[in-house]
Amino acid sequence: ILAMSSAATTPPSVDKVDGFSRKSVRKAKQKRSQSSSQFRSQGKPIELTPLPLLKDVPAQEQPDLFLKKLQQCCTVFDFMDTLSDLKMKEYKRSTLNELVDYVTVSRGYLTEQAYPEVVKMVSYNIFRTLPPSDSNEFDPEEDEPTLEASWPHLQLVYEFFIRFLESQEFQPSIAKKYIDQKFVLQLLELFDSEDPRERDYLKTVLHRIYGKFLGLRAFIRKQINNIFLRFVYETEHFNGVAELLEILGSIINGFALPLKAEHKQFLVKVLIPLHTVRSLSLFHAQLAYCIVQFLEKDPTLTEPVIRGLLKFWPKTCSQKEVMFLGELEEILDVIEPTQFVKIQEPLFKQISKCVSSPHFQVAERALYYWNNEYIMSLIEENSNVILPIMFASLYRISKEHWNPAIVALVYNVLKAFMEMNSTLFDELTATYKSDRQREKKKEKEREELWKKLEDLELKRGLRSDAIIPT
Amino acid sequence: MEAFKLMKELKANFEQEMKYLPRESGLSLIESTTEQGKGISAKCRDAKVEDLWSLTSFFGYSTQTFVLAVNLLDRFLALMKVQPKHLACISIGCLHIAAKVVEAECDVASAHELIRIGQCKFTVSDLSRMEKIISEKLNFQFKAVTALTFLHLYHAIALSHTSHRKEILNLDKLEAQLKACLCRILFSKAKPSVLALSLLTQEIEALQSSDLLEIAQRVQRHLRISEPELQRWRGLVGQCLMQYSSPECSKPDHRKLVWIVSRRTAQNLHSSYYSVPDLPTIPEASWDESESEEWTEELSSGEESLSSSLGSDAEGPYFPAHFRKQQSA
Repeated sequence: ILAMSSAATTPPSVDKVDGFSRKSVRKAKQKRSQSSSQFRSQGKPIELTPLPLLKDVPAQEQPDLFLKKLQQCCTVFDFMDTLSDLKMKEYKRSTLNELVDYVTVSRGYLTEQAYPEVVKMVSYNIFRTLPPSDSNEFDPEEDEPTLEASWPHLQLVYEFFIRFLESQEFQPSIAKKYIDQKFVLQLLELFDSEDPRERDYLKTVLHRIYGKFLGLRAFIRKQINNIFLRFVYETEHFNGVAELLEILGSIINGFALPLKAEHKQFLVKVLIPLHTVRSLSLFHAQLAYCIVQFLEKDPTLTEPVIRGLLKFWPKTCSQKEVMFLGELEEILDVIEPTQFVKIQEPLFKQISKCVSSPHFQVAERALYYWNNEYIMSLIEENSNVILPIMFASLYRISKEHWNPAIVALVYNVLKAFMEMNSTLFDELTATYKSDRQREKKKEKEREELWKKLEDLELKRGLRSDAIIPT
Repeated sequence: MEAFKLMKELKANFEQEMKYLPRESGLSLIESTTEQGKGISAKCRDAKVEDLWSLTSFFGYSTQTFVLAVNLLDRFLALMKVQPKHLACISIGCLHIAAKVVEAECDVASAHELIRIGQCKFTVSDLSRMEKIISEKLNFQFKAVTALTFLHLYHAIALSHTSHRKEILNLDKLEAQLKACLCRILFSKAKPSVLALSLLTQEIEALQSSDLLEIAQRVQRHLRISEPELQRWRGLVGQCLMQYSSPECSKPDHRKLVWIVSRRTAQNLHSSYYSVPDLPTIPEASWDESESEEWTEELSSGEESLSSSLGSDAEGPYFPAHFRKQQSA
């Protein structure tokens, strides 16, 4: 006999955004707990012989005990089964805790033998195939992420590893035998974890590794490159873009001048195309930071960057347009006047379109540029080029825009232009008015022509029907 | 004859113009008032007139509306001692009255719109009360004879005499110049006929047309405008126009304008970007491209020459890592 749930299957009341229901509500299903492929129930319980505390043994025995504890922590527990091995899980947890403290405060504990054991323990715990996300329907912008079940242990492993890397005794020359390209590759794969806490730790780990292992730097950069390119051009799926960009930010910040060609290539071939991805909002802040850092390092990159952004300017997604406008303002905040002059025309042609956008947030954000003192000073210096580009849109929307707040902002902008360059403004006004008058006249003539044709046709019809004599 | 009729009209307006001239003593008082003084100063009035021009332009009103508004304003200010805090209301009131007189009804912006766009602090009822006061004080004499009246007449007269060179004298340009002059209280003291003639003659001089010059002189004689008076105002007009068309831009005063944005945009402005990342900067070392063990051991700090011989700037693969390994220093 199958017992069926008698609950009515009416969907919950749906949030509507722009008339479309939110995906997260449409799914309306039970959140599946995460299934990590690493853990298999072995049937028999795990037994670990409890070891004494490090602080309780004499100093010369500590390094050895340390190694033993590391080895014990290589045992991995199944957190999917919440009832199994509770005592041992707790033992491992407190051991890990102890190791974290030990690494933080101790001196002289780091023997050469410790290195491979540390790396092994960390590898055993963290390297695993990440579970597939709840199919392709996981929308990072809307859905709650699935958190890692074994976090109570995992967090301590990460914590331990970071303290180890940061320890005063840490020697990269020894460690590099064990923390090698293969290790880094597996580490990078973990950035796709859905658990943001894990990604945050990974970010710190990779940052420290990049800092200390000079020989791995080129490799790391290359791998990040590949991840991004795959993300942009193949999958549009990767959860760790923001974290990787944050690390890149600190790397870009430290670039030596003059910038190597490789880095400039990266900017143009990877960072700019990253702007085209649908889920941009998840990492836009970090991406924008990287871009601005590049430009502060080498202002001559301004032109290709802005041209790139203009090329990829969102055409159908207003939310993205607002982001682009924000980023552009940040770029303009640091732009050099000589660079500004090079891109002002295509730039303001785009801004002119944004300002006339029927989406009020886009228009508003674009108009707000005129509240930025530095941008205003640049516009002032070049008002004879910029004003003609902006004028027609501004004037037209002052009459036609549906949103009164936008109209009020347009007044501010027009007033600023008027005060900047009265003669030019008056000329443009006069031209605009006479153009409009000419257009109106043409329209009127066209209408009259059609009317005449209609009358003619009517008369002809009537004649052929012999109603009017020919 | 066309020209004859125009000359007659000219004379008629000339005889009327004194009626609409603001009281000179009142204007002088304003000119002598300092910024810290209790009344309206010249700078105050000039700034307000510039605002009126912005609004005129924004709402698409004609130059005539603007000129009339300024005329009403100056006449009123020359009669009444007003406090600076009322100046905004008075000037908007004048603009509104002028628009109702000059523009078609459908083109007149509502009081509510005027106040909203002008970012004014008073209400619609304040405005209509002020308009009543202005109208009464000026005896409802709204159809003022202004410099614009004369400018149009002069232009028409010039055209009627030189029909084959219609386009030379640009009325739009003259109107714009008149507008620039009216932004200074100084020119409200000039007789409209003289002010207009000053503008006309300095433009004619720029065009270097002897025909037009002759016409202008004829007009001057017809109206019996004295040469010294004309020269005086021409000089002042010349100075004003030089500043108006100079490439030097005056920095807009941002403090005056209020930028009101929607809540969502305001949130985005403050929260989206991060100023300082959590991660400390990692400086790029000049020799950090190397992957070979030997290299990191052998190199002491400061081996600059390697980076220049290393291949990252060379053609070839994107990250020529092994390329570098093959290079020997």
